[in-house]
Amino acid sequence: MDIADLATQSLNGLQFAMLLFLLAVGLSVVFGLMNFVNLAHGTLYMVGAFVGFSVATRTGSYWAALAAGPVAAALLGAAFYFLLLKRMQAAGPMKQVLVTFGLIFVGIDAVRWIWGEDSQSILAPTAFGESVQFLGLVYPSYRLFIIALGLAVALLLHLGLERTRLGAVVRAGVDDPVTAASLGINVDLAFFGVFCLGCALAGLGGVVAAPVLQVYPGMDVAILIPTLIVVVVGGPGRLSGAFWGALLIGMADTFGKVLIPDFSSFVIYAVMALVLLLRPSGLLAARHGS
Amino acid sequence: MIGDEDFRRHCVAAALLSAAILALVLSGYAGRDRLAEIAILAIFAMSLDVLVGFTGLVSLGHALFYGLGAYAMAAFATMLKLPAGLAIPLAVLVAALAAFLVGILAIRVRGVFFIMITLAFGQMGWAYFQRSRTFGGIGGISGIGQPDLDAIGLSLANPADMALIAVVAAALVYLALARVTASPFGRMLVAIHQNESRARALGLPVQSYKLAAFTLAGAVAGLAGVLAAERTNFVSPDLLVWTVSGEVLIMVIVGGLGTLVGPALGATIWVLLRDNLSALTPYWMLAMGLFFVAVVLFADEGLYGLTARIPWPKRRRPSDA
Amino acid sequence: MLEARGLRKSFGALEATRDVSLALPEGARHAVVGPNGSGKTTLFNLLTGELRPDEGQVFLAGKDITALPPNARARAGLTRSFQKNNLFLDLTVRENLALALAIGERAGTVFWRRFERVPGLLARAEALAERVRLADVLGIPVRALPYGTQRQLEVGLALGIEPKVLLLDEPTAGMSAEETRAMTSLIAGLPREIAVLVIEHDMEVVFEIAERVTVLDYGRILAEGTPQEVRATEAVRRRYLGERAQ
Repeated sequence: MDIADLATQSLNGLQFAMLLFLLAVGLSVVFGLMNFVNLAHGTLYMVGAFVGFSVATRTGSYWAALAAGPVAAALLGAAFYFLLLKRMQAAGPMKQVLVTFGLIFVGIDAVRWIWGEDSQSILAPTAFGESVQFLGLVYPSYRLFIIALGLAVALLLHLGLERTRLGAVVRAGVDDPVTAASLGINVDLAFFGVFCLGCALAGLGGVVAAPVLQVYPGMDVAILIPTLIVVVVGGPGRLSGAFWGALLIGMADTFGKVLIPDFSSFVIYAVMALVLLLRPSGLLAARHGS
Repeated sequence: MIGDEDFRRHCVAAALLSAAILALVLSGYAGRDRLAEIAILAIFAMSLDVLVGFTGLVSLGHALFYGLGAYAMAAFATMLKLPAGLAIPLAVLVAALAAFLVGILAIRVRGVFFIMITLAFGQMGWAYFQRSRTFGGIGGISGIGQPDLDAIGLSLANPADMALIAVVAAALVYLALARVTASPFGRMLVAIHQNESRARALGLPVQSYKLAAFTLAGAVAGLAGVLAAERTNFVSPDLLVWTVSGEVLIMVIVGGLGTLVGPALGATIWVLLRDNLSALTPYWMLAMGLFFVAVVLFADEGLYGLTARIPWPKRRRPSDA
Repeated sequence: MLEARGLRKSFGALEATRDVSLALPEGARHAVVGPNGSGKTTLFNLLTGELRPDEGQVFLAGKDITALPPNARARAGLTRSFQKNNLFLDLTVRENLALALAIGERAGTVFWRRFERVPGLLARAEALAERVRLADVLGIPVRALPYGTQRQLEVGLALGIEPKVLLLDEPTAGMSAEETRAMTSLIAGLPREIAVLVIEHDMEVVFEIAERVTVLDYGRILAEGTPQEVRATEAVRRRYLGERAQ
């Protein structure tokens, strides 16, 4: 592997990491706040992608799709929340996890029903249709756009968490729900907002991924497992955990495919198992934890 | 509570067994093959129930041991040419040993993290067999060959005989697991499920019991895998993929956690719905998924819980006398 | 029987336990009192092994058990009841007590005989129920019991493993006056082979059952002695007994 290959693969890894980050951040923060994992998070990503596909086909505009996907995912997430999750708070996290597990199967078949079995795609916007040359590399500009978008979202979320009132509630809620409630803050409403934001980001991820990966029923499960791994590796409830976890898993997966192609799919699972054994509550949780 | 509950469970199990025997006699080639599949999945589901229903350890990687049992059987039969009488117990032992080793690591984490780590180990197994040249990669191993059962007048190539053996095996596994789960050992698992910290404060070495449950469940899943390999005469990485773990978890929960007969019922319903609904609509998983969600939400005891509505005769317990 | 030497435990900047030493001879009746946040529960957790001390040792019957986890300490004869009810909620009282007995007898390695047919197990569960006055509710699932009755079972479970040392964490917390009287006489009637260490807020209960009292304040020992001595200590009167003693 020469320097150019190394650079290209690093960019690929970074691009996959940013996609994983868009999915993992919502899942992770919700895990931290409500102590349950939404296994149907991938479904929202898939729905975002398919709605984006429909909108792109009708309007011919990638940007319209990029707006529609997150909205659709957030609305569906809100419906999940009110119809199921909110009513199940008393039943405990394990039941909530199982319900979202059932929703995976419902989601795949619902999407097959509405959009059919075929793989679809969304064309990248014309502005990012070609490759760019820099530092002796030729690299698709759309992938650079994904990287930039991921970094921008991470920065915005970081600022939002540190500088806004909602951010303060979320930080308090992760550390100590009782205190948060006693501050006179409407914790339920704040949690609901965070949940919807996480769903919207998953939908955003779906549209963003569509020009690079294919849009098909089952794409949710394909992304769900690496996303869960990111959440576990990063430690639940932490923005920084989701970010660094995504970076680690994105890079491990990409370089695994290049360096040990035979056992590439092994790599991320091995990383996760190792992390869980060394630090049972996540790699970064201890460093950033309360 | 324990006595009456057992009586009801055994009645439902007997009804299920009668239905199986009826199906064995009345159905044709395809029906008998399906019956064999149901019985094998019932064994697999009952093994997971030991973990999820009794011990409270929700595993999303149980197919690892099912697949390992099947692969071990295939490897012993085709590569080492071991006779079935030796290959079958050895294959079960391989699954048990794997479960013991994975268990040592997995039981260190809890709750949602336990789901994740079992998922990770399962997927690692799947990834391994997909790429392994020794074990045939994606294509798997076919032509496993069937043990010579002429001595007792059976042939596994014949679906009726295969179904008979699978149903008998399922019945024996049910009886054995019912016995084990009703024993002091089984009650310790229930105690851990109910309140782990109290069990520990009373002096129970909780981790050892969890490991024993994990190993037992892995061994029985391995047996189901051995039978699955014999039934199809073929093994592939598809046996270990995480959706197999997910499906068997659905069977256990839909059927009724911690009841053994419930998961067997769940496996039956699963195969029947899959084959019948899928003929009617390609979207049968939608119905299955909604049904699963409804069970989790409203019916803790799943389908088995519905049998509680039947007015069972009360048995007198010695302690009431 | 149970001895703690120089226990220290900090959580970050908070020193929850500062150089606490304690000795319970066989059959002791010892109470730990102190205001909220004085480190009583931390001390209990150090004694039972749920927490490891930063410094100091714990001895049970002369053996150093500082490194043992809770289950090993329980096997060695040290167990506790909990401040918040910590029971097997979906099982009946009979099953709860039988489980505790079976754990105490290490019967869990038997995997073939039925649980209820372990010789004498149910009879002993019923005898234990008699001791903690639960004989009337044997067949009732714990979840359905009133709070005070659940507290009795809390003590019953701990007795089930026939401990040498029993730690009771606020056994009368949240009880009515009548329930408190019943619990007090239950504790007073425990067999003298068992050393009992109790955390208790209700000073009347303390003076009725304890023969020695340790007063904790900000994680350290403020006073120790017989109830009469402690009651007479000026520092204790000011700091803790306050208006009650005047």
